[in-house]
Amino acid sequence: MGPTQEVGCDLRRAFLTALLLASVAVAGRADTFYLTVAGLGGEQEYEQRFTGWAKEIEQVLKNEPNAKHEVLMGPQATKANIQAKLADFAKNSKADDNVILFLIGHGSFDEVGYKFNIPGLDVTANDLGAMLDKIPAHIAVINMSSASGAMLSAVQKPKRVVVTATKSGTEKNATVFSRYFIEALRDPAADGDKNEIITVLEAFRYAEAKTTKFYEENKRIATEHPLIEDTGKGEGVKAPTAENGQGLAAQRFAVLHTGSAAAVAKDPQKQALLKQKEEVEAKIDDLKYRKAALSLQEYRQQLQKLLVDLAKTQEALDK
Amino acid sequence: MKHAATLGFLAIIAFTPFAHAQAQDGQPAESAACALLKRKGDAGATACYEKLLRSNNPAAVAEAMWALGNFRGANDAFRATVKLREKDPAPRTRWARMYLDHWQRADAADLLKEALELKENYAPALVAMAIMSSENYEADAIKFAEKALAADPKYLEAQEVIAQVHLEDNNPEKAAEAAKKALQMSEESLDGYAILGTIDLLNDKKDTPWFDRALKYNPKYGEAYATAAHFFIINRRYEEGIELYKKALALDPSLNHARSDLGVNLMRLGQEDEARKHLEQCYSGGYQSPETVNSLRLLDSYKDYVTFKTPTTVLRLHKKEATLLRPYFQSEFDRALATYEKKYKFKLQKPVQIEVYPNHEDFAVRTVSMPGLGALGVTFGYMVAMDSPSGRKPGAWHWASTMWHELSHVYVLEMTNHRVPRWFTEGMAVYEETATSPDWGDRLDPGSIAAIKGKKLLPIAELDRGFIHPTGPEQVTVSYFQGGKICNFIAEKWGWEKLLAMIHDFGANMTTVAVIEKELQLKPEEFDKQFLAWLEPQTKKTVDGFDDWRKSIRGVATLAKETKWDEVISIGLGLRDVYPDYVEAGNAYEFLAQAYKAKGDTAKQTAELERYSKIGGRDPELLKQLAVLQTEQGRKKDAASTLERLNLIYLEDEPAHQQLGNLYLDLKEGPGAVREFQALLAGKPVDVAGAHYGLAQAFVLAMRNDDAREEVVSALEAAPGFKPAQKLLLELSGKE
Repeated sequence: MGPTQEVGCDLRRAFLTALLLASVAVAGRADTFYLTVAGLGGEQEYEQRFTGWAKEIEQVLKNEPNAKHEVLMGPQATKANIQAKLADFAKNSKADDNVILFLIGHGSFDEVGYKFNIPGLDVTANDLGAMLDKIPAHIAVINMSSASGAMLSAVQKPKRVVVTATKSGTEKNATVFSRYFIEALRDPAADGDKNEIITVLEAFRYAEAKTTKFYEENKRIATEHPLIEDTGKGEGVKAPTAENGQGLAAQRFAVLHTGSAAAVAKDPQKQALLKQKEEVEAKIDDLKYRKAALSLQEYRQQLQKLLVDLAKTQEALDK
Repeated sequence: MKHAATLGFLAIIAFTPFAHAQAQDGQPAESAACALLKRKGDAGATACYEKLLRSNNPAAVAEAMWALGNFRGANDAFRATVKLREKDPAPRTRWARMYLDHWQRADAADLLKEALELKENYAPALVAMAIMSSENYEADAIKFAEKALAADPKYLEAQEVIAQVHLEDNNPEKAAEAAKKALQMSEESLDGYAILGTIDLLNDKKDTPWFDRALKYNPKYGEAYATAAHFFIINRRYEEGIELYKKALALDPSLNHARSDLGVNLMRLGQEDEARKHLEQCYSGGYQSPETVNSLRLLDSYKDYVTFKTPTTVLRLHKKEATLLRPYFQSEFDRALATYEKKYKFKLQKPVQIEVYPNHEDFAVRTVSMPGLGALGVTFGYMVAMDSPSGRKPGAWHWASTMWHELSHVYVLEMTNHRVPRWFTEGMAVYEETATSPDWGDRLDPGSIAAIKGKKLLPIAELDRGFIHPTGPEQVTVSYFQGGKICNFIAEKWGWEKLLAMIHDFGANMTTVAVIEKELQLKPEEFDKQFLAWLEPQTKKTVDGFDDWRKSIRGVATLAKETKWDEVISIGLGLRDVYPDYVEAGNAYEFLAQAYKAKGDTAKQTAELERYSKIGGRDPELLKQLAVLQTEQGRKKDAASTLERLNLIYLEDEPAHQQLGNLYLDLKEGPGAVREFQALLAGKPVDVAGAHYGLAQAFVLAMRNDDAREEVVSALEAAPGFKPAQKLLLELSGKE
């Protein structure tokens, strides 16, 4: 079974069955392990910024159910401590649990590869890859550091979600992507499908759009191009779609729950309604898939009818 | 006149002790003979140059190649000549003249610098410097020309440059005097005739004897009309300028620079097909000046624009932002025209067109060869081109203020039949900005403070110089400020009707001095005295305290960084009041608001941000912050006003549209909410479902249930599980 949260709706039919299965599985909710590492700032301004962001993540995740959140910052953010925390996750997590690693700070890149800058010995992309490989759970790595694009090849695996703030190791300027990724966890607008769950894909899309806009608005040449990769092969993409095959795992990977969707799913008395709801949702997905084959009027009429059905079912569920 | 480099050769050849005899302008005697033929319009000039191609003098070969349009070959020949005559400033100067003819200003400047290092007072190089400065509307053109005349009192071209620059400065008396001096130096001063003829035409004389005299010398001297056209264009008399360019080309169809200018100006007036024809003719004929190439590129880009027409307006917007901009631009466009029609008591004869460019470089093409205009908007008769709000950093400028500024030009230009000095039309336009709303328009800037302190404001009789030939970029800004304040002063002391009367006087072709004397019953010197006395109390505190302010405001920034909020407040309050107009980055209002926020004093934080907004602050983040505070305090109408103000500054702000849309929903103002959520959607928001849902709610308020249903379905299409939207859909379905 895949990660246990709700799904979005913009991938091809080939994914629909898998997505439906994922949504059915809400009842057996797994645990999520978070590790946030704020690396070396170098200057006071960056130190403050990085630790501030790490604290913000801590704050946002404070009420996340079934979650364990570890934060390493300042002198604590050493390679040994990172290794210890990830080893702990490896020991305590199960295959259907989720592990999310947030890296905030400066990264660097040379002929040898990517390094995340921390007190003492830096941690390399290969180090991180080796540490993560010991974890049985589903993994999302959110590397918001400069030059982070260079770490992709060392950590990517099938179904492992990797987000990088830059497209390569040569994008070495401090990033704004971090600010927007963290903002996504606070801004209800990031929850694109309004299911009260912010997935990695939603947060990525939000932060990527804001990052692009930041450079456009400020008339600056973009020095970072965020990417996401979750198939374990090839390069990351800016815009995951069914065509490029990216985004399926990220779409199902919850970072944060903002409402009570999961609680409803646990109520045995509502299973029939839930089933009915899922059937209507499947019909809607199917209709969307057939959109190109229908006239706009026909499509909108059918869509409206299904949406009314879904709304009525939801109304009954919420009673 | 503009391309005097190819036409200003002298008839009198003065031989020099160099290896080859040289003309006064430094070219070899043999090519000067060909130049003389060309100058007379003699058909034998081409053959003369072709013969020179076989000369054993590389300098003569270079001149011939240049004259025959082989710039690459000429470039090589000049390089060879310079190598042979390393200590001679002449070949460097001639090479520089060729570069000027080929739009390579920087290369020309380097060579002229080298020439003047070889010989400090080398007149041909000084004249070339004068021409270069004049073409760029720089203030030191006359200085170089006078220096050339000091070195060589018989240097005709130097005298001709002086005449041209005086006329560009809108000083026809001095220009005529200089042109007559040129004619005293040589009866064959074609540019002298051209300037005198131009002055006649600018004075609405139907014909002029001066052009006949030039044509007697050279029957194909179309340059005379091209010179006149240039002056009509810089005086914003575009249609007449276009006709003169056509006359120039009728006489001499090979005048490519005139053809290019014709194309550029036809384009400015919206006659795009004819413009393209001329520009393409230039381009295919090898005349690929930046103006020609840029204009053609701009014409090509028009396929990406959409045009919206009403009986009085034409609005051209880029496709990618048309949906977002249109409601706001159309609304201000209509409001400005209605206001001005009443205020100026004048009805425009045809629709006004506004073009809005998201790419500043596209907009810049519109300003090519237009001196002294602000870089935000430009008016060509009934045509206005301006930057889009997206063309600059958020909060960098006020687009509505710029639009009203430009539309004021349309009225003043039309009412005067384009016979108005630049200082007045710019002054009126600046005046209108703050007359529309006190928080619009530019604030008192450091350059103007320095000018006031250094007593460098120009006398009213010479204020045009500050626009056309400024001593530096800051003098343009200062002149805008001064022009605006002068109109303010007149309106305040003599009333708006006097400004209207002045517009009509200028339309009757009266000079600034005559208009001031007639309408205000003052000598210009007395006017200047009274104006400065009026201005002083308004600016004294800032001017006197500016130096200290500049030093101290940095300290406040440091204190804010160190979170020493009490000190920020105690020092910041004083600094704010010394220079209240300063609303740019690092302003006192922002630091004070930060300090009050840190101390938890929301009331003072709000008050400070309100003060900032009222005096013209434009930072979108600070304005949004203010709107949030006002909303939290239950002052939703004030919050909406704050965000409406932001809409006139920057339109690409997704959260601001959402914030304002929600406020209008709370205030039950359907149309406003509809506009804001439509703007939100036009910006392709991250939260598509939320935006459609907001618009659906707005349509419900506006009693447009069918539209509401469409929007709520769109919201649910993006997010089927979106509960509030589901609820609204059921409500709307129940109403069916």
